[in-house]
Amino acid sequence: METTTRPESPALARLGPAGMDDSLAGTRRWAAGFGVVGMGLLLWGLWMVFFYAPTEAEMGIVQRIFYVHVPSAWTMFLAFGLVALCSAGYLWLRDPKLDAIAVSAAEIGLLFATLVLLTGPLWARVAWGAWWVWEPRLTLTLLLWFMGVAYFMLRGAAENPERGRRFSAILGIVAAVDIPLIHLSVQWWRSQHPKPVVMRPEGAQADPAILQTLFVCLFAFTFLFLSLLLIRYGMERLQQRVHALRAAPR
Amino acid sequence: MPRPGGLVTEMAVAERAEPRVADDTASSEPAGASFLAQVWAVARKDLLLEARSRERVLSMGTFAVLVAVVFSFAVDPSIRARSIAGAMIWVTVLFAGTLGLGRSFALEKEADALTGVLLSPVDRGALFLGKWLANMAIVLAVEALIFPVFALFFTLSFQGSLPALAAVVVLATAGFMALGTLFGAVAAHTRLGETLIPILLLPLLTPVVIFACAATQRLLVGRPVSDVVSQLKMLGAFALIFLFVCTALFGAVVEE
Repeated sequence: METTTRPESPALARLGPAGMDDSLAGTRRWAAGFGVVGMGLLLWGLWMVFFYAPTEAEMGIVQRIFYVHVPSAWTMFLAFGLVALCSAGYLWLRDPKLDAIAVSAAEIGLLFATLVLLTGPLWARVAWGAWWVWEPRLTLTLLLWFMGVAYFMLRGAAENPERGRRFSAILGIVAAVDIPLIHLSVQWWRSQHPKPVVMRPEGAQADPAILQTLFVCLFAFTFLFLSLLLIRYGMERLQQRVHALRAAPR
Repeated sequence: MPRPGGLVTEMAVAERAEPRVADDTASSEPAGASFLAQVWAVARKDLLLEARSRERVLSMGTFAVLVAVVFSFAVDPSIRARSIAGAMIWVTVLFAGTLGLGRSFALEKEADALTGVLLSPVDRGALFLGKWLANMAIVLAVEALIFPVFALFFTLSFQGSLPALAAVVVLATAGFMALGTLFGAVAAHTRLGETLIPILLLPLLTPVVIFACAATQRLLVGRPVSDVVSQLKMLGAFALIFLFVCTALFGAVVEE
């Protein structure tokens, strides 16, 4: 731990219980650790995708995009779930750290939602013959993407940063309420999207090599997500300090 | 057009009714009856303002009728209007409703009247529900215009299904206005203002739109009421969930 010699500032004290004592060194260490593990797993996963996993019989080579598409979708849900959780926590405890996690997760969630929406059509053009169909799962994902965009528009347009934090937390919570509702509301329609192959009541139904590759990719994406999240969180905390110092009376 | 000055005076007059109601709750937790009295006081103030200026109902109504006219030449004549009327009507309701929502809190912001309302001992939940009630009444009034106009222009018939249709409209509007009132308040405190409302609202409103369109379309083609019961239940569930969540979150919007 660093010892702090910096003078106390009321503006910094408002930043949270830790104020400036919070050195972020631990955050950086964890970010680097997760990043190394994630990159290692990703390289291993890439090797598996191209040299280990068999080519799927029906869809052929294009099926391999599944090893990027599914982990992206998983990371997207993880990120937006974290946004809702930290938003609720922020409105309750008003700890700027929770807001910093929420906004970092929202940004990364938006990134992975974009990846899902880019890799999906690439596969769909070959498998379905169309880039896009208005199908429950696709529509749901697109809506989630728009909610992510709205989150940042709202945050940026608020009259002051503190309001922006509150408003985006509100949107983060309402969006999280809405997502399962949208999901349930469209389940009665027949879905064109492939059914789950792993998480199903009667057990996994796929070649073991395909499943192993998928799991390595899932872990790789999860660790990369954690690493990105911590890096972005550190940046957000620094930014909060800069804003607090600027706003503080000299 | 009403002058801004006139509006402020009206607002002050309308708010004079409030302290009387709020006084007996100043020291204690709001009990059931006085909570409802607070809700009614806020709703009454908004409805009184609307009754005097009629600016929201008139602008929303004019807009809705114009949209119906635009649909008449946007839609290919070979397509039977009856098969897409449910979607046309609800898109019109959404746009007209969104148009009016911006005014709900913009008015309060203009003369900084919101500060006055917040200083009065009105419960935040009661303030939200009052605003919601007033917005409901205004949008329902506009819908009472939209449905007959579409029925007239596109020769639709809702005969025999009017009670079910009324239930669909009320439940869908309840959910729509719960989200709309919350994000109307949010948008009023941003630089983008009313421009932001549709961007925030349209993705969140998806479930309401899905079920309202489906139910309206079924009633329109003469399916029995028993065919829309599941949609009615879902609309009711969404209205309740949105009302609960939005009432709980409203305090975080208006705090200073």
